[in-house]
Amino acid sequence: MKNKPWFAVVYMFVVTAFFSSIVIGFAAFTKDRVEANKQIAFERSVLEVFDLAKGVAAGNIHSVFVEKIKEPDEKSGGAYLYVEDGETKGYAVPISGKGFWAPIKGIIGVSADKKTVTGISFYEQNETPGLGAEIEQLDFRSQFEGKLLGEGDEVFGIVPLGTELADNQVNAISGATQTCTRLELIINENISMWRQQIAGEEVEK
Amino acid sequence: MSPNGQATLNRDIIVDGLWRNNPVFRQVLGICSTLAVTNVVLNTVVMCVSLTFVMALSCVTVSLLRNITPRNIRMMVQTLIIAFYVIIVDLILKAYWPDMSRNLGPYVGLIITNCIIMGRCEAFAGSNKPAASFVDGLFNGLGYSFLLLTISVFRELLGMGTILGMEMPYFSTLWDKWIIMVMPPGAFFALACVIWVCRSFKTKEQG
Repeated sequence: MKNKPWFAVVYMFVVTAFFSSIVIGFAAFTKDRVEANKQIAFERSVLEVFDLAKGVAAGNIHSVFVEKIKEPDEKSGGAYLYVEDGETKGYAVPISGKGFWAPIKGIIGVSADKKTVTGISFYEQNETPGLGAEIEQLDFRSQFEGKLLGEGDEVFGIVPLGTELADNQVNAISGATQTCTRLELIINENISMWRQQIAGEEVEK
Repeated sequence: MSPNGQATLNRDIIVDGLWRNNPVFRQVLGICSTLAVTNVVLNTVVMCVSLTFVMALSCVTVSLLRNITPRNIRMMVQTLIIAFYVIIVDLILKAYWPDMSRNLGPYVGLIITNCIIMGRCEAFAGSNKPAASFVDGLFNGLGYSFLLLTISVFRELLGMGTILGMEMPYFSTLWDKWIIMVMPPGAFFALACVIWVCRSFKTKEQG
């Protein structure tokens, strides 16, 4: 029987069905956790750009997020709002685009006057560990705090080490030129788009 | 072990996997992942644990099915079994250790194409009993792991002055960091040096 041609087909079919059903079952079992982890990673990013996530345990991220952050409204151009005592303290602008290997997704915090960067954080990236992936590290991210967003086309710059920094520039990571070039593009495109959306929404009124 | 006879469960399998027939510096298999994940020690550790787990269990499963699997489709079946365990590892990391899952990114999925696992399934598990196959898979995994850990310790130390992210005396302060060590070219230098050193130790048999 083992050498009959049909046996190979049936055998493959049975083996595939068996292992696939275990994988499907396991995926269904972990689905909620995987989704929840993604949501928490996103919410942590939003909190981080306003420096609200320090010392908050993973279990409490969601409650802090609900308390401090408001969903995007018609005036924010897709940005989440950081509201304290009924006053808007800042905008969390979602940014996304093509990285060196895979999409980079993150949040840029912009102050209430829409000019100063309060922070940057990433919740999805697959850059090279130790190089491009260093964009997640505080060493790199803390450079963004207090920087100004430039006017016109040059919104933000990521320039090589040793260059004299302007108000809207930070140092790149050595060895991660591709990631930094792309990140710069992502920031520029997304901030420009956000500005257009806000301007458009204000004109409509 | 003779190619046709069944290997008995003994020290030879262990010594072969760890040293005499080490998958990395003897067989020179699995080099892609060796080069890719060894720039930071923590990533290497998780990669090694995942690979050893996948390899040991794949070998057992292939061995259990060896007598009923038709020979002409055995490669498909092996790939399926390996992929099955890799997806399980990937899901476990995504669900219970999301940070690490983000760090390793595509490399976990690439365990499927790691030729060491396929090689052991084909060369050993396909013609040996489950217990011996398990030990063979496990110790080949450990042989791979100890070599990768050696490489990653040197790369992280020389390239970033840290080990497991902890700053090391001298290396994080006075040492002029060799950035190239954590970049892809550094992997080639490190791997070549380690293979050279390991191969320069002669075992008794080779005289």
